[in-house]
Formats: sequence, structure tokens, C-alpha cells
Amino acid sequence: MATTTAPKSPTSTKSARAAKSGANNRRWALIFAGAAILVFVFYQYLLPHLDQSVKSVFDSWLPISTLEESLVWIICAIGLNIVVGYAGLLDLGYVAFWAIGGYTAGWLMSSFFNNVDFSFFGVIPPQPGGIHINFWIVLVIAAAFCALWGVIIGAPTLRLKGDYLAIVTLGFGEIIPQVFYNGDCIGPACWNVSNGTQGIYPVDSMNAPKILPGMKGATLGIFDQPYKYIFFCLVAALCVFVSLRIREGRLGRAWLAIREDELAASMMGVPLMRTKLAAYAVGAAMGGFGGVIFAEYVGGVVPDRFNFSISITLLAMVVLGGMGNVWGVMVGALVLAWINATGLKQIGVTFNQVFHTSINFPANNYLLFGGILVLMMLFRRAGLFPEMRTKAVLEEDEVADDAGGTHLSDPEEVTA
Amino acid sequence: MAKAYQIGAVVVVGAMALAACGSSSGSGSGTGGGGGGQTLVISTDLPLQGASKDASNATNQAIQLYLDQIGDKVGNYNIQLKPYDDSTAAKGAWDDATCAANAQAHVANTQEVAVMGTYNSGCAKIEVPVLDQDPNGPMLMVSHANTNPGLTKAWDPGEPDKYYPTGQRNYARVITTDDYQGAAAAQFMAQTLHVKRCAVINDNQTYGQGVARAFATEAAKQGITITSNTPWDVKQPNYQSFFENIKAQNVDCLYIGGIYDNNGGQLIKDKFNVLGDNNAVKTMAPDGFTGYPAFVAQPQAQGIYLSFGGMALEALQAQGGAGAKFIDAYTAKYGAPPVSSYALYGVAAVQVILAAIAKSDGTRKSITDAVFSGDGITIPADTCVLGKAIHIDPKTGDVDARDMSIEVVKGNAESYLRSWPVTGS
Repeated sequence: MATTTAPKSPTSTKSARAAKSGANNRRWALIFAGAAILVFVFYQYLLPHLDQSVKSVFDSWLPISTLEESLVWIICAIGLNIVVGYAGLLDLGYVAFWAIGGYTAGWLMSSFFNNVDFSFFGVIPPQPGGIHINFWIVLVIAAAFCALWGVIIGAPTLRLKGDYLAIVTLGFGEIIPQVFYNGDCIGPACWNVSNGTQGIYPVDSMNAPKILPGMKGATLGIFDQPYKYIFFCLVAALCVFVSLRIREGRLGRAWLAIREDELAASMMGVPLMRTKLAAYAVGAAMGGFGGVIFAEYVGGVVPDRFNFSISITLLAMVVLGGMGNVWGVMVGALVLAWINATGLKQIGVTFNQVFHTSINFPANNYLLFGGILVLMMLFRRAGLFPEMRTKAVLEEDEVADDAGGTHLSDPEEVTA
Repeated sequence: MAKAYQIGAVVVVGAMALAACGSSSGSGSGTGGGGGGQTLVISTDLPLQGASKDASNATNQAIQLYLDQIGDKVGNYNIQLKPYDDSTAAKGAWDDATCAANAQAHVANTQEVAVMGTYNSGCAKIEVPVLDQDPNGPMLMVSHANTNPGLTKAWDPGEPDKYYPTGQRNYARVITTDDYQGAAAAQFMAQTLHVKRCAVINDNQTYGQGVARAFATEAAKQGITITSNTPWDVKQPNYQSFFENIKAQNVDCLYIGGIYDNNGGQLIKDKFNVLGDNNAVKTMAPDGFTGYPAFVAQPQAQGIYLSFGGMALEALQAQGGAGAKFIDAYTAKYGAPPVSSYALYGVAAVQVILAAIAKSDGTRKSITDAVFSGDGITIPADTCVLGKAIHIDPKTGDVDARDMSIEVVKGNAESYLRSWPVTGS
């Protein structure tokens, strides 16, 4: 995709590739948008009128709450994809941004700071006190706040590469949740910034423009799940759009150059520091989106959730889907989030019913994940839906190997 | 790309095949429930994976047994049980997102009228506001194990009103709260064990902090010096230096506020190594340490005192009456008595729900109203599996039975010592 935007290279293969990638993106966008709208229409307008037996199948196999949770995973995976997939910076502590986003929502959309009473287009609960800011504004604030933290975390890691970088990000991913975990008494005055292990409950409902048929009012209540879902979809769509557009632009091509060969990129005039920090910032901002949406979905934030396994699961989603390919990452996130939330449990229930066994399927969750990842690495290294560019590089290598020659990949392809 | 499509096709076909299996099993279970009368579903919401799974499974089994005993019927209604799992294997404990999803599922499943649960107070804090806002409700939740005071009484700022956005209560419990449990432990240690200087440690979680704070407050009133109240880090590989600090405080007792899941095994080991056995430094822990076979089997755990909100299985058995009879029936059916007395409290919570259903017209709202209006719900002594009459306060949803039990770990088992009725407030 990136090669295609260079305006001064009108070779026939490139323009063909450009057309192919554009058409490819359009097709994927149509598939996802169509699926999202179809799901919304189905759950909001059709499912309530269907027979109870049909309803119970959907309730157990694909409840709308699982879809909402999957959207949080998708948004975070797209954010992580920018850092890992585009810029090639291995980040094992992405959960930190999810946590910061979640707590931003906790601070700005609840009665947690009950000694102040401030509201700004927010949903105000019957009890007085607290800060109640509009969901959409909090979304922007959280993204900005996370981007700032992305830069703060990214800055000391600039001199590091590979394993060392991974270890430092891992450290940050552990530190930030611990700060929230123990944040009920910080500093000499014992400030309560996170309510410690008790977490912050409940987070306000969200506002939304009354644009869809059947919406009662501007406030989405706790049971307006399909409406929440479609608005969360819009946020995910925004993340996809930003990802794709940045990738085509100067910054995105610089990220890819760094990913392929950092030294060569810097020789070609790519400012390493600014470019890497931008990757951390953009990736973190999407983590902020994910965190706010998660807090809204759960109705609160609890520090227990933000552990290392979240970072690993997100990384698995990116790897499974295809590093660098937004569409693949979305598929990977959807599949793994579904398996995690309902899939494995339901498969277990069905299996046990059919074969009269009592195997605890969910307990073997990570066995399955691990197995899938090993198989992926053996047979499909680039992911389910590999990025075209990665695929091209891998295939060219194979061709070269087969021919027994020393032909390297097209240099333009590498440095773009 | 062709390969990708092949894989996609395989996934889609697989998913469709699974969906087909699901639909057949789904419709099969929907048609249960014998003739006559309306069928109402009571659900349980428990962590079925991880360290709490034994207690949760016993609770589900006990409730099913009780429902079988009463012929799955109350008044004119057929009763069905539907267990939910609020834990994930990845966490091995309750999970916030799963609790949120379960709460939505309880409300969405129109046959469900009330929820028995949750096991963890944190999960209840997510689910109660959702059930409270049920358009056909509020939907009743009765917990057998939530001991965090904030769910029903003023504790932290904004509690408990913030859990009831509609202003109407929908949450009751049959177990007494941490504030009483900590107090009972302090009274027992002062009056029976005659200790003088106590160190308090907590696992830095909602439950552990609450019970530790209550202990420290009452202990001071009982004339015990509290030398410190420090959290232990659940991720530490060992606690040698942690206990060295406490050793320097020259204490003759240790109170552990927390749950065994939070690295309790290692904690007990290092306590034993550094502070000495449990006669040298008397050690007491709350009910977060009860019901764990792994804990009582530890040599270092022998001699640790445990307090338990409500009564131990032994006490219920010794007391005779409905409780003892139920334990016998459970033992006869499953080959062993329940691993935790939470199983019996689960049944007691179901009894409260059933009594509410009997007083209602079968809708969620009227079932909740039955508990929170008039005189509230009373379960008479001759039927209550707790062996004595319990009454739910219609204003708060709290139970009037405030007995605590004191146990001691002896011979690799929890051995019942005595019951301790809490005095004062």
C-alpha cells in the first residue's frame, strides 16, 4: 500500500498494486460496515420479536454484550497494531493505556471526586457531587491524556531495540496498573486517586445524538445495548480510518521504513525520535478510547482487570490477524475476544452435552491460544490475513530461494 | 488471498455447524419444567473457575438438592435453577466484564425472576445497579457471601445509595457483614486468647481492607495495641522480609485480613518461618481463608484461628433441626458433606427468594417488593437451613442473624471451636 502512494513512480506494477490495495481496503471496509449495521439492525429491531428458543441461542452464543466487549479489544488491538505492526516496536505493556483510559473515565464520569460538583454536558446521577463530563468529550480527553503518557513512556525507550525495548515496555505495563492498585493513598497527604482495589463505581451513562429510530432520548441507559454497540462501532471505525490514512501518509511510510530497517531509515532522513514517539502517541490514544469504552460498558473500573495477560492477549490478536494489516487485526481481535468471552465456554457446554463428558473447556484457554500461535508460526507466519507488503517480501524470498539465486527483495519495496 | 478465503470459509462453516449444535441443545433445555403453573427461573451467579470453584459447585449442588426436596415448586410456580459463571479461566477469579455481561443476561432472560449471588462483593457492585434499573423490576438479588458493608449501609462516600440508581433497594443478603466479623475476631482474641499486641496485615482488596479496619477499631476498644496495619503484595514470591518487619514490632498476635487466593499459602509459610508457630504468635484470619482444602492441609496453617460470618457446618450440624437434616441429605446424595458452609447460606438465600416469590404475583417487581416492603421476609426456624429463624430488614436488606463462628485449623481440617455472638455495634 505504502509504495503505491509515491507519486513519482508510475510503473505499471505499482499502479496496479495501488488499485488493488485501494479496492482491497474498500472491500474490507464494506464487509465490516455491512456486518456492523446488520448486527445492529438484527439485535435492535429483529431479535426482540423472535421466538424464545432463537433468542436463547443468540443469548448464549453471541450476546450483544460480548460484541461490545469485542469492540474494546478491537480498538485496543488496532492501537497496538500501530506500535507493533507499523513501527515494529514490540510493546508488552499496552494494558497501561487501557487502564489510563479507563481511569480517566472513572475520574471524569462518576461521583468519585465527591468533594467537587462539576458537570459539563454530562449525565448527572441523582446523588450530588463528582465530576460528570460528556462521554464524547471524555473520549477525547482520555485519548489526549493517553497520548501524553505514550510519549512519556516512549521517550526513555528510544535508545532501545528488540528485546530490551520489550522488557522496558513490560515494566511500564506492570507499573501503571500497580499505581492504580495502590492509588488510594498517594503522597504525604494520602490522596485517593484511584480508590485502590475497590475501583470506581458506577460510571455515568453516555449521551448520544438522537439519530436512530427508536431511541428514547439523548441518554443511553444501561439497557440500550445495541445503540451503545453501534456508537462504539463508530469509534472503532474512526480508529480504522485514522490507521489507514496515516499509513498512506508520510508518517506511516516513515514507520514502515523504521520497521524494515531502522539504520537505513535514519540514513534516508527519517527523524527516528519524532517518528517513534508519534507511533507511541497514536497507539496510546486508541488505548484511551478503548479504556473509556470499557469503563462505560462495565459501568466501573476495577484495577484487578489490568494484568499482563491483557497485553499478551492483545499481542496475540495482532499476530494472529496479521501484523500491520488493520483488517486482519480486526478479525484476529474479534475471534479471540469471542473465544475468550463466550465461545470456548459454549463450545465446552455443547461438547459436554453431546458426549456426556464434563471437561472444563475454559480452563484450557491458554492451551488453545498457545497451540494456535505455535501452528500459526509454523504454517502462516504473517498471520491469517497478512499485510500485502509482508506477504510480498516473504513470497519474493521464497522465489529467490527456489531459484537458488541471491536475488533480494526490491529495494524500493523495502525502503519505500 | 485465495488461501485466506479458504480459511475464512472453513471458519464460517465451522461456526455454522456449532450454531446448529447450539440451537438444538438450546431448544431442548427450554422445554423443561413439569405441567401446571408458570415456570420461574432463579439463577445463581458464582465464580465456577479458579480457587473458589469448589465452594461454588457445592453451593449449586446444595441449591439443586433443596429445590428437588421441595419438588421444584413454590406456591403455584415451578422453579428452575440456572447457574451462571462470573469468572474467567484466564483470571481464575471473578471478572468485571463477565459480571457486567451476566447482569445484562439476567435482565434479558425474561423467565428469570431473581438472582442468588454473587460470591464476591466487587462483582455485586457491578451487577446490583444494573438489576436495579431493570424496566420490569427492580430485579431481586440475594447474596449468600457478600460481606462488604458498603452494599447495604453507609461505608465509603456515596455508599450504599450509589448502587441503587432508582432509589429503590433490590439487594439483600443472608450473611452478616465484615464490620461485625472483624469485631468478633477482636473480641475473641482479647477475651479468650488474652493477647496484648497485634499486627494487622491485609491483602489490599475491598474485603481484606474492610475486615482489617474493623478488627483494628474493635481491638483498640478491647485494649489490644495495634502495632501496624500493612498490606501484603499478592505478587511477591516470598514474605520473609515482610514478616521480619513485623517481628521487630514484638507482637503476640497477627490478624490476616484477606483471602487465601491472594498468595495466602506462601504468606502462611513465611509467617511460620519468621514469627514462629501459631502458639507463639496467635494468628487469626477471616472467612476469606475458610473453605480451602489446600490451606488446611498446610502444616504451617495448624493452629490458625478463623472467623466466619454465620455458622460453621459443625455448628449447623450440632444445632440439629432443618440445617442438620439438610447436611445429612446432601451427604447422602453426593457422598460427602459440602466443602463450605456457604453452600447452606446459598440455600438460605434461595429460601428468602422463594418466600418472596410465594408472597408475590410472580413478576420481578412484586418479588422485590415482597422483600423490601411491609415486615420483610422471615424464614421460620423449622424450615430455615441455618437452623434458626432469620429475618431480612426491609429497609436495608441486611439479615438480623449476627452470629460469627470461631474455628481453629487442627489435624488438616477446619475444626469448629465456638460461636461468637457479636456484641456492641
